[in-house]
Amino acid sequence: MSEKRVEPSSAPVQQHMGLKASRAISNTAIYVLLVIISVIWLIPFVCIVLQSFRVESTWQVGYVIPQKWGLDNYRNLLQTDFTRWYLNTFIIALITAVLQTVIVLCMSYTLSRFRFKMRGPLMRFMLILGMFPGMLTMIILYRVLKDLGMTQENAVPGLILVYIASSGMGYYVSKGFFDTIPKSLDEAARVDGATRLQVLYKIILPLSKPIVIYTILTAFMGPWGDFVFARYISFGASAGKNVAVGLYDWLSKDQINKSYTMFCAGGVLVALPVTILFMCLQRYYVEGVTGGAVKG
Amino acid sequence: MANLTDLEYLRLNRWNRFIYRFSHFFTEKLPNGLKNFFVGTGRRIAGAAKKVGAECVDIWSTFVNGDWKTKLSFLVMGFGNLARGQILRGILFLLFEIVFIFYMVTTGAYWLSMLPSLGLQGPSKEYDPIYDTEITIPHDNSFKILLYGVLTIFFIIAFIYTWRVNVRQNKLAEQILKSGKKLRSGREDLRSMVDDQFHKTLLALPLTGIIIFTVLPIVFMILVAFTNYDGAHNGYSNALFSWVGWKNFDTMLNWSNNSGTQSYSATFGEVLTWTLIWAFFATFTNYFLGMFVAMAINKKGIKLKKVWRTILVLTIAIPQFISLLYVSKMFAKDGILNGFLLSMGWISQAIDFWGDTANNGLLARIMVIVINIWIGIPYLMLIVTGILMNIPADLYESARIDGANAWQQYTKITLPYMLFITGPYLLTSFTGNMNNFNVIYLLTGGAPTNAAASSAAGAVGFTDLLITWLFKITTGAGNYYYLASVVGILVFVVVAVISLIVYNVLPSIKNEEDFQ
Amino acid sequence: MASVKLTDVKKVYDNNVTAVHDFNLEIHDKEFVVFVGPSGCGKSTTLRMIAGLEDISGGTVEIDGVVVNDLQPKDRDIAMVFQNYALYPHMTVYDNIAFSLRLKHMPEDEIYERVTGAAEILGITQYLTRKPRALSGGQRQRVAIGRAMVRNSKVFLMDEPLSNLDAKLRNQMRAEIILLRKKLDTTFVYVTHDQTEAMTLGDRIVIMRDGYIEQVGTPTEVFEQPHNTFVAGFIGAPMMNMVPAQLKREGRQITVSLLGAEIPVTGDKLEELLAKDVHSGEILLGVRPEHMMLVHEAGPDTIAATLEVNEMMGSELHMHVIAPDETRLIVRVPTVNLTTEQRERLVYGATVHLTFEPKVMHFFDKEKGTNLIYG
Repeated sequence: MSEKRVEPSSAPVQQHMGLKASRAISNTAIYVLLVIISVIWLIPFVCIVLQSFRVESTWQVGYVIPQKWGLDNYRNLLQTDFTRWYLNTFIIALITAVLQTVIVLCMSYTLSRFRFKMRGPLMRFMLILGMFPGMLTMIILYRVLKDLGMTQENAVPGLILVYIASSGMGYYVSKGFFDTIPKSLDEAARVDGATRLQVLYKIILPLSKPIVIYTILTAFMGPWGDFVFARYISFGASAGKNVAVGLYDWLSKDQINKSYTMFCAGGVLVALPVTILFMCLQRYYVEGVTGGAVKG
Repeated sequence: MANLTDLEYLRLNRWNRFIYRFSHFFTEKLPNGLKNFFVGTGRRIAGAAKKVGAECVDIWSTFVNGDWKTKLSFLVMGFGNLARGQILRGILFLLFEIVFIFYMVTTGAYWLSMLPSLGLQGPSKEYDPIYDTEITIPHDNSFKILLYGVLTIFFIIAFIYTWRVNVRQNKLAEQILKSGKKLRSGREDLRSMVDDQFHKTLLALPLTGIIIFTVLPIVFMILVAFTNYDGAHNGYSNALFSWVGWKNFDTMLNWSNNSGTQSYSATFGEVLTWTLIWAFFATFTNYFLGMFVAMAINKKGIKLKKVWRTILVLTIAIPQFISLLYVSKMFAKDGILNGFLLSMGWISQAIDFWGDTANNGLLARIMVIVINIWIGIPYLMLIVTGILMNIPADLYESARIDGANAWQQYTKITLPYMLFITGPYLLTSFTGNMNNFNVIYLLTGGAPTNAAASSAAGAVGFTDLLITWLFKITTGAGNYYYLASVVGILVFVVVAVISLIVYNVLPSIKNEEDFQ
Repeated sequence: MASVKLTDVKKVYDNNVTAVHDFNLEIHDKEFVVFVGPSGCGKSTTLRMIAGLEDISGGTVEIDGVVVNDLQPKDRDIAMVFQNYALYPHMTVYDNIAFSLRLKHMPEDEIYERVTGAAEILGITQYLTRKPRALSGGQRQRVAIGRAMVRNSKVFLMDEPLSNLDAKLRNQMRAEIILLRKKLDTTFVYVTHDQTEAMTLGDRIVIMRDGYIEQVGTPTEVFEQPHNTFVAGFIGAPMMNMVPAQLKREGRQITVSLLGAEIPVTGDKLEELLAKDVHSGEILLGVRPEHMMLVHEAGPDTIAATLEVNEMMGSELHMHVIAPDETRLIVRVPTVNLTTEQRERLVYGATVHLTFEPKVMHFFDKEKGTNLIYG
């Protein structure tokens, strides 16, 4: 509602013509605004793509359009551990997506559908647990994973374990979705002779496609961007890094001049598959995000 | 202020109404809320105590009234089940008891006995004739003692609970048999796992994960706050750590400081203040600007709605570390923006966005909030769009017939509706922003450096939140884990207090079922 | 085809609210029993306890002589129709109806026979391949009934199946349920808040309020011999007029005086009152609107009232009148009995004289509300 504030007394004065004209003006203003917003939002990504093709220098420069174009940065990427990081991240993301989805669905379905004695206390307990900064647990998880041999070079299984282990606490969005499926469907199926398990996979899951896809999508995207845990658990071992940790180091003070454009190229390669996947499944993501916020 | 009746209240003007409600909140609602909370907590504790008492009585009466099978089950778990033909249950109980006893005898007892001291014998230096040097021989390991000590306590609790279940099952089995009915067979037990007991099956895996990877570490880290665990006392190879009581909280919260540098508490206060300011602005700038953008896109007559939306949503897809790191470098002293401004001749000297310490790093602080808007608006746009579509159109129609203009429609209908629906979201968003590690760490790493605070607590920057400070304490020189966990506990306290207050005020949170 | 027996059935929710108090009822084989009452009276809860969808807090539910308290719904051999139909949105009508049979691993041929058979009866054959969202409310209701029908289960439970339909369709479906019942010839338990449905469908009606049974009886019994003021008010529309009155007994003579009228009780009612040995005192007198009569002239046994609102229903006229002491009464007058002249006279503010016969009077205790004769 960007229409100018109109005094109540003047409202009746506005005739049909006036209404039309004021709408046209406000719409034009909105178009201008939207164009500006789009530019602001896209500029960094345009820059990053352009700079990934710059070959005349590898450090930060004060201009955007390369003077010399080429694929050198991408070629150089292959000489580094980037492929290893990429593979690490991909494996982590894939496995996490599957397992985390299973766990989240178990949790949210149960809390949505079953009324057992410990349900209320359990939900309160998880709410309180969620108020502790997750980072606090990092130190001990590192030590435990180290004892299990799942850190540094072998960080991949360790990270998977960390990502999925507590994922049950992120049940809110999908519980909100399950809550919208009428309970009488469960009841009808149970009267019809279905066990609770059959209710889940014959009735509820076929109706939950959007939320299943949303959960898979977010679970898959999470590991691509995770930085803190990945850095802590891989702890300097290049073979155990994910893309975020690896690329972060390229922007450190002593490396930035050598690898700035390579960072851009790496960034493009990381963003590409995730973005394409995201765009294809956008509809479900939007559904999940909006539903989640509305239902708390 | 005196309580007014509804009719008296209605005669107040707008300002007085606000004053009345405001003072009412602090004189009536808040104290009542707190009172209810504490009374409720007290009642819950009393209830729990009563329950434990009742359980004990029940256990005793089960023993006294039970037959010999039941009585023997008090010692040999699952015996009653086995004797009454419930082989599967019996074997599971028995197995659990055997594992428990084996664990306690072999290792559990050791961890438990060491827990009060966290290790008796520290590492010692010994001469190694082969290499002709002094080498360190580690002995007890405080870290493991604390960890496995806690784990053992968890295990004991689990055992007591299982034992209680075992006793209750005997009682139930006796009752069922007495009434002439049959007990469930193992096959029926298995079947009930996918039917009436299905929730237990479903929860088993997620809860195990949460207990081991969240509850256990949190309990551990809370305990660490009462020790002197740090880089110099790593509990194993250089020195053991031990219990120190409330000393660390004293260090963190005591204003007086002997060493002449800024005290921890002052630093904590500074960082906390900024954290709250940041969380407030990060939440509400995003909220209102996101709402504005969403409404602009959804306005009647605007074409290409999908295109605008997709452009914004696109930025969600790109992993945050790429966009944040890149934007951070764009604004660096030698970054694109400065380069551009310099080459245009608009400025003569590069602006140091991340290094300017003037006014407590005000420039950097504003920059992170602004860049966070860039990050956050797409999400908000999506959320708001979803809710806007759900506002019944007849509300607007009737408002227009009543003579409301666009602005009035916004303030009287859209905004109240939004605030009601998104109340819980705003709360989680606020606390989420308090702990928004990624944005701060990837953008500024906490910079610019807060020299005064750093003198006391290691590297602290003006844009550091409590959570990034915690990270720096942990990973920085000295590895003051105990301080980090004190900070972590305080973060929890702050978040919990804010949530508690908001929960008691927000209408939309109170009843979960309202939304179903 | 089974009997259902509820003994001391109780439902207490976690927040200690008791929804159903000691419910005792025996439903005979092939009987059609209707639970009726205002919302929140515990009728649906009771039905759901029979179905196994709610835990039973106390007492026992038996189906065909077997206690089913601890059985899952699927093991109770019941069929149920839900208020909002509860059709599985992702399945076609055919699959919806076949769902329970498939769970029983019935051969596909037999499933086909049964589903098409049921569809034939319900007239939904042409929709079998459609998804529920492509159907109208009435069609969905038929599918829901079909789904319950094919199972040949012991008991047929219906939870307000018609309340989501519009008035016209509701009447039509009500008739169809009566027909269906004849075809299926099984035990029915039907929940509704609509007394018309209860009266037209039920062999016996269970009237409930606040978790208690107020009365159990055939439609005629609950209509003619309501046990208390609640039942009297709930059954019949418009609601029964309930007026404070004086009961005077002198030997074997009883008169009732109310609103300025004095009406002697005669006939069966007099005998029944005498048999109960009633005494003089304050009572509540109930008279149904359709039993009130308009008379031309005032007399000792008439009530003078002022006409406030006239509702013309077509075949009859509902007159809302104000009697002395601001007492509001409703009178139902068949329009055929009224001359044009009379009708024109019945306008706002007109004075009318009302009376009624002793045999239509209901006598209630003023405090407890119980029927002095039947309560």
